[in-house]
Order: sequence, then structure tokens, then C-alpha cells
Amino acid sequence: MRLRLSYDDRSAAILVFPVLAVLLVVAAYPILYSFWVSLHDIVLTRPLRRPFVWFENYERMLGDARFHTAVLRTTVYTVVTVTVTTVLAVGVALFLNESFRGNKLLNALLLLPWATPSIVNGLMWKWIYDPTYGLMNALLVKLGLLDSYRAWLGDPDLTLFLISNAAIWKQMPLAALLLLVTMKAIPDDLYRAAKVDGATVFQRFVHVTLPALKPGLMLVLVYETMISIRHFDLFLIMTQGGPGDASYTLSWLIYVETFRSLRFGTGAALSYLLAMLTFLLSWLVIRALGERNA
Amino acid sequence: MQEISRRVTLQALVAAALGAPGLASAQAAGKVNFIGWSAAVDQIKAHIAAFERDTGVLVNYENFPFAQFRTALVTRLVGNAPIDVAWISDAWLPEFAEAGWLADIEDMPNLKRYGSETAAYCNQSMTYKGKQYGLSYYGDHMSFMYNTEVLQKAGISTPPETWDQVVEQCLKIKAAGIMEYPLLLSLGADTWLIEFVSALAFSFGGSFVDDKGDSIMGAANGGAVAAARWLHDAIHKHRILAPGAVETVELNGLRAFGSGAHAFTIEPTYRIRSLNDAAQATAHGKIRLAMMPKGGPRGTHDTCGWIRFYGMTPAAKADRARRERTVKFIEYFGGRDTKGEYSLQERLLLDVGLPSCALPLAEDTEVKTFWTRWAGGGEIVARQSMAARKKDVISPWFGEWVETSNQAWQSVCLGRATPEAALGALGNKWNELKRAFR
Repeated sequence: MRLRLSYDDRSAAILVFPVLAVLLVVAAYPILYSFWVSLHDIVLTRPLRRPFVWFENYERMLGDARFHTAVLRTTVYTVVTVTVTTVLAVGVALFLNESFRGNKLLNALLLLPWATPSIVNGLMWKWIYDPTYGLMNALLVKLGLLDSYRAWLGDPDLTLFLISNAAIWKQMPLAALLLLVTMKAIPDDLYRAAKVDGATVFQRFVHVTLPALKPGLMLVLVYETMISIRHFDLFLIMTQGGPGDASYTLSWLIYVETFRSLRFGTGAALSYLLAMLTFLLSWLVIRALGERNA
Repeated sequence: MQEISRRVTLQALVAAALGAPGLASAQAAGKVNFIGWSAAVDQIKAHIAAFERDTGVLVNYENFPFAQFRTALVTRLVGNAPIDVAWISDAWLPEFAEAGWLADIEDMPNLKRYGSETAAYCNQSMTYKGKQYGLSYYGDHMSFMYNTEVLQKAGISTPPETWDQVVEQCLKIKAAGIMEYPLLLSLGADTWLIEFVSALAFSFGGSFVDDKGDSIMGAANGGAVAAARWLHDAIHKHRILAPGAVETVELNGLRAFGSGAHAFTIEPTYRIRSLNDAAQATAHGKIRLAMMPKGGPRGTHDTCGWIRFYGMTPAAKADRARRERTVKFIEYFGGRDTKGEYSLQERLLLDVGLPSCALPLAEDTEVKTFWTRWAGGGEIVARQSMAARKKDVISPWFGEWVETSNQAWQSVCLGRATPEAALGALGNKWNELKRAFR
């Protein structure tokens, strides 16, 4: 059967084609090719051999102790970062939703950490935590909360949380802004009606603000989860996966496997595993919040 | 004025885009394409200018930071980029040679003749499976350094001979209230960590692998485990080394030691110049070298040595004209120049402090003056250089193994694993990679 297209359909197809072609070249092809790579045992330093190994790379990585450590570290990091970012963002959004003098200036200032380049953010926090000249040590010693300077990032029990803190500092402003936009859309009538019914501030927050915030919260949770789970730059700048394996996350493992060990096959397999994990988590968040919202 | 149509403009742009790579290759033709890392860039550029003047051969020079160099070089080699010669670390030689990215110089008498004028460990470090793969850029070793002023304040007259004495002297310095952590070791997971721990293991009479290349690093009575145990005790028992050492990379360690905040350290020998330079270090003029302390009953003054060298690619060797140009380049840079002098090697030592593998330079007056000025004499450097050993873990799988090694040593330092367990697991990883390579 011959497909008959109208003039409008053909025009639309012609206009869309360049974008489709670019997407195929820059997105679809690399995605499919990297999957093909993940099915091969490609080690860059052994260019003469690249056997097709089916899903052996996936199997090997799923059984690798480093992978298990990385999943655990990534989970802890993501849960802490997303939870704290979201809670703080809700608080800041509530505060900025009030009318007071200097509100607009605060709104603008709030964006500063978010506008700071990731590399700068990483370096800044690395300096703050520095064991010899760091601001955090100086402050805590001056306040009498610490006897002597500590190597904060050298403490494997704290490393992940300190990196998380640096991430929260940068990511929270955008989350707060997204929630603020949703908050502004809540009709004042709802608050007035709740007040008339004798609802307290806390009750108004729980029964009016939070339900209305769900679309914004879902967006923030999905976005922050996707960002946190794939976070790499702070780990590269601040700890390089260390000390020991204290900050050995999935993104770091992918970097080590691909760019240090030059094992492109397992690196690609790990990337797919990470992508699947990201999709799964995002789907769970959307489902959980989406259903309740419906 | 004639109007240029859109079609003509597009044709011109497409032609320019298609022609650009050809133009670039045409420019590269007849030149030596040389890649190095971003070190001694001014000296290298000056020497390139002299080479171009003396030989008429032009050079394309590119450099990348050392941290990214191996990856950058490998991707270029895989992509068949037109590279003739590159700086190569001895640690990469086996994997690069096995990958077919380096050409040996066995049939190049102009280069081979330098073997008799080169320190033995340098020759060994450029040799894989009996074939030599280049001429040296520089060769160095890990040195034990101490701050004379701190020792003097603590009433210590001679530097330590053994690692036990290092502990004793550190405790004495601590007891005198001079400083909290007299020992500084850069145990951050950067590219230098394997050299630091190798030096330590060698000084405990240890090795990581046996003569067959099988792992012995986890052996309970082996030198590597003894060295790891000593490190753990230095941090957790004696508290002479800061727990933050696992966060300290070599460059930060250098700065900290240069500030005069520590009494002892291990650093590459070439750092002695900057440490005693008033413009670069507060503790200048007070830093001296001592032989690497001996560890335990089987201890030696052995240390870890390494070299970096000029390696030629097979593509350059295969083409007669490229090969001739490249040989000229390697000889001019890694051997003697057209005046018969080791001018670059001498310049690198005098300006940057990089020690040379060229034996004749040891007798050079300026070189002797250099060591007297910056290290209080060249005797220790010469003796320690004789006791320098190539890293025994250099293998085609070194690049993969070293990541696990860094983690294992850090785990010991953090008290997260016993030396036996950490190095045992590290040994298993070694054997696994060795088996997989066959």
C-alpha cells in the first residue's frame, strides 16, 4: 500500500528531517554504539583484540566487589543529597513566598551558588575542608568546638557527607526556585478558607501547601535524583574516589574503568547499568507521587 | 562589485571544511610531531628552536597535563594520529610495546650507542623483552629528605639511618613541642603513590612480585607488608604522620614540607631544587638529603627509581624520511646535540632540577656546582641513585592494577584493612590481571 502524504505532512516531514537527522547522529547513534561496545571486551591498550562477549561485561561488573561498594556509596550519597536538598528547598521556598522587604534581592542572591561552575564549587569546598588552611577548621577551632585541625576529607566516615554538603549548596537554589514557582500558583482562596476553618500554620502547610506542591516536588525529586546518582565532578575534584574507597560511587567507577583502566567494554556496560538504575528510580518517584496526585 | 551567490558561498565553505584537514596534514608533513606533558615547557621550546636551527628539521610540539597524558596519548595512538615521538613513562612501556605503539631502536646505531653513557637502571627501564625503546628524557628516584633546622632544635645531630630511628626522632621532636606531625608522606591517590610505597617496600627489603612476576606482595613476612604495617603504626600508634596524609597529593606535600612544617619526607630528588629555593620555599637552605632509611631486619637503602624517555612510534619508524627526522630529534633531545653536548639534559637539571641518566654529566663542573648549591653536595644523590630500583610491578596490566593498589594502601593507612588483608587482595588482583593478559 502506498502511503499518501498531504502537502502539509510532507512540508512538516521536510522541516523536521534536519532535526531528526542531527538527533540520530548525536544521540541515537552514540547510544546504540555504546551498547554495542558494552558487548565487547574492549581494552584500549590491547587494540588488536576486541572479542564479542555478549553480556559478560555486565555479568563481570555485577559480580565485582567494587560495583557493590559503588552502588552502596551512590545510594547513600543520592538519598542524603536529594532528601536534604528537597527539605531545605521547601523551607527556603516557603520563606521566599512571604512578602517582606528585600525579597527580590534575596531571590537573586539565592541563585549565586547555582550559577557557580561545578569546578569552582568543588575547589571552593575542598579549600574550606582543607586540613591545613581550611576555613572550616579555623572556624571550629576559634569557636572552641575543635582542639586541632582535622583532615575532613581524609576521614572515610565523613567524606561522602561532606561531598554531599557541597552538592546541596549548589543544587538547593534551583530546587527552591522550582518549588517557589509552584507555590506562587497556589490560590490564596485556599489559605483563606483554611484560616476560616481554624487551621493552624502547620495544618495549612500540611493540608494546603504540600498537596499543591506535589507536581513541583515530583519535578525536584526526579531532577535531583537524576543529577545526584550521576554526580561526578565533585568526586573528581575533592576526593578522586578516596580515601580508600570511601567515595567510590558508580560514576567514579565508570570513569576509572573507562579512562584510567581504558576498559571501554566494561565502562560502557557500567554506564548502561547506571542509566537503567536512574530510569528505575525516576520511574518509582514519578509513580509514587504521580498516583497520589491523580 | 560582483555579487556572490549563496550557492558559491556554500561551495566555498564546504571546500574550506574539506580542505582544512588536508592543509593541516600538509603543514605537518616534513615535521617531527612530538607530544609531551606540560613540564619544562620553556626549556623544551628553546631546545626545539635550537634543533630547528641546527638541523633544518621543523617540529610540531603539543603538551598536555601529566594527569591526563596517558589517556590523551592512548586515544591519539588508537586513532592513528600522526605522532612521531612522545615522552613515555617507564610504567607504560610494556603495555605500549605490547599494543604495538612503540618501535624499538635496536637497529638504530645512532641512538643505541648512548647505552654505554647511560646509567644502568635507566637502560633497564627503557628495555622490554630485550629491546630498547628510546633515549632518556630524565631519570630520578625517591629521596629521603630532612629539615636541618628542626633536627637542630630537637638536639638531633644526624639524620635517621633506619625507619625505627625515624620514629624515635619524630617522637623526640613531638615531645619537644616543635611540631605535631614531624613526618610528611604524600599518600593521596595520585600518580606518585606507587613510587612512594615502592620506595618504602624496597627499603624494607621487600618486593611486590617474584622473579617470575607472580605476586608476593601479600606475604606475611614480606617487605611490602612490613612497610604497610610501619605506615599504619606511624599514623595510628606513634601519631607522627597525620591521618590527612591520605588526602595529600605529591604537590601539596611538597608545599607543606617547603613551608617548614615537617621534619622528614620522601620526595622525588628533583624537588630538592625548589625546596631550597628562597623564591619557592620558606624552609629554603635547610633541606638536605639522606639515604633512604632501612626498614626491619632485612632493610636496605634501596629506593624506587623511574625514568621518562623519548619513544618513537612504529609509523615514524616505517617511513624512511620520518624515521630519519625522528632519530635526529631523539638524539638531539635524549642524547648529544650537534655540538656533541648533553645540552638539554644539563639545562633541565640546572633550571628545573631534573636529574639526567647521562653518566658523563656527573663530571660536569656546572652539574657538580648545582648539587653543592641545592643539596649540599652530590654524594648522597649519587649513592642513592646506585641503590635505585625500577618498580617491579611494571607490566602490561600496570595501568589497571595501580588503581587497586592505591586503594589498598590507603585502606591500610586509614586502618580499614590489615596490611596482610589489603596487600593479599591486591596480590590476588595482580594474579587475576596477569592470567587475563595471557
